[in-house]
Amino acid sequence: MMSTYNMVKQEFIKKWITTLHMLDCSVEHPLNVTERKNAIKLSSDIAMAAARSGSTVWSRALISRSGNKTANKPVARRILKKARNRLKNRCLTLRRNGNFTAKSGVRKRTELLKSLVPGGELIKNKDYLIRETLDYIVYLRAQVDVMRTVAAVDSVTGNLTNDNK
Amino acid sequence: MLEGLVSQESLSLNSMDMSVLERLKWVQQQQQQLQQVVSQSSNNSPELLHQILQFHGSNNDELLQGSFSQFQMIGSGFGPNYNMGYGPQHEAMDGCISRTSSCQMEPVDTMEVLLKNGTKEDRPISLKNKRKQEVKTREEENTEKKIKVEADTESSMKGKSNMRNREASSETSKETLKGVSEIPKLDYIHVRARRGQATDRHSLAERARREKISKKMKYLQDIVPGCNKVTGKAGMLDEIINYVQCLQRQVEFLSMKLAVLNPDLELAVEDVSVKQAYFTNVVGSSKHSIMVDVPLFPLDHQGSLDLSAINPNQTTSIEAPSASWESQSQSLYNTSSLGFQY
Repeated sequence: MMSTYNMVKQEFIKKWITTLHMLDCSVEHPLNVTERKNAIKLSSDIAMAAARSGSTVWSRALISRSGNKTANKPVARRILKKARNRLKNRCLTLRRNGNFTAKSGVRKRTELLKSLVPGGELIKNKDYLIRETLDYIVYLRAQVDVMRTVAAVDSVTGNLTNDNK
Repeated sequence: MLEGLVSQESLSLNSMDMSVLERLKWVQQQQQQLQQVVSQSSNNSPELLHQILQFHGSNNDELLQGSFSQFQMIGSGFGPNYNMGYGPQHEAMDGCISRTSSCQMEPVDTMEVLLKNGTKEDRPISLKNKRKQEVKTREEENTEKKIKVEADTESSMKGKSNMRNREASSETSKETLKGVSEIPKLDYIHVRARRGQATDRHSLAERARREKISKKMKYLQDIVPGCNKVTGKAGMLDEIINYVQCLQRQVEFLSMKLAVLNPDLELAVEDVSVKQAYFTNVVGSSKHSIMVDVPLFPLDHQGSLDLSAINPNQTTSIEAPSASWESQSQSLYNTSSLGFQY
């Protein structure tokens, strides 16, 4: 079980290296902090969804969402194009009902959960929504763990270089 | 930005603590109420079905309020507190999350239905022994998500009797009761009847479903920390929502931190992957305590194949990042593009 989680993280790391590298090549330097942060987050989101790369709604929705952000970057577009077309073929129209208010506590929370999980609005079955959420949580957790480790490594090496100066 | 997030979380946590406690007691009250109801005379099941379907679109919030005030769980002052505790939390959520969902839900909150009947007392709903188990399972179900009748009938069930036809009929009857359109998969469920328990076919089916539900509960509790103390569907959802928001905020924060620490986009991800490979190859590493096995695999078999297709030997090539960067990125790009062909 635990090795499965490690494999998840390993997969995520691999994909993240790739996406980071691609974004790095396609973006003009220098970047300010906000742009860097957006690039890091975007690359890690794409990597997380790519690591899942299965028949989950959230991974495809996340890719589709990320595709809109990288409209100007042709490199990332190439990867995302295929996945985005797949998602487009499904019925993506969301009915917007202004008068709709959640009646019960469970329904309110389910609506909230749907807004949190990427692609959650497309899921009609409550049972499946929770399965998707659990899967999404696992990968999200992997993403957080890896990023935290990288940040720790970075801060350590940052301190070392400062000492050497 | 961070302070605002923290305060919002604490506010939601406070309100949620109140509502969680209250929900816990409400569930206990529910069970007591149910036992009282059961002791009454029997009634026909179609009538129950009709009533449940009637309450399908009722305003359950008022229902809850009425029931709380009647039971006087935590004092009379709690009724408005429930609203207050819930309101600000929701406004805060509304502010930062745009609601675009409008899917039809299937909220058969039969617990509230029974409660309403109990308060009204003009329709004495009582259940036969058979239906009692069904309602109890529905009650447990309301504390957990709905269960799909799928072909993955757990192999942990041992075979005592084949219930194929009965299974189908009982499942279809349950479906009509639930008002849900699920595909009835006709499959065998082999259950061993334990000593002292009814060997009724319906009860066997019920027990099978209950065990499935409890299994899913366990996965949930393993993945989302802090799920043990909470029962009730709303509480579970609360925990899940909280956790997802927490993780998403962490991602934001960490990406900002990484952006600050690195003047260029060269993150030390390769070094992390080396460490990671080491941990993966070491047997019995107890660094992480998340059981990810079951939720991943039932969802998608292709995904699991993807994972298993990675041979650990591939990770050793990452140890020389500068030398084989081009070839490595090429191979990674191939794997990532392959990942999209499903």
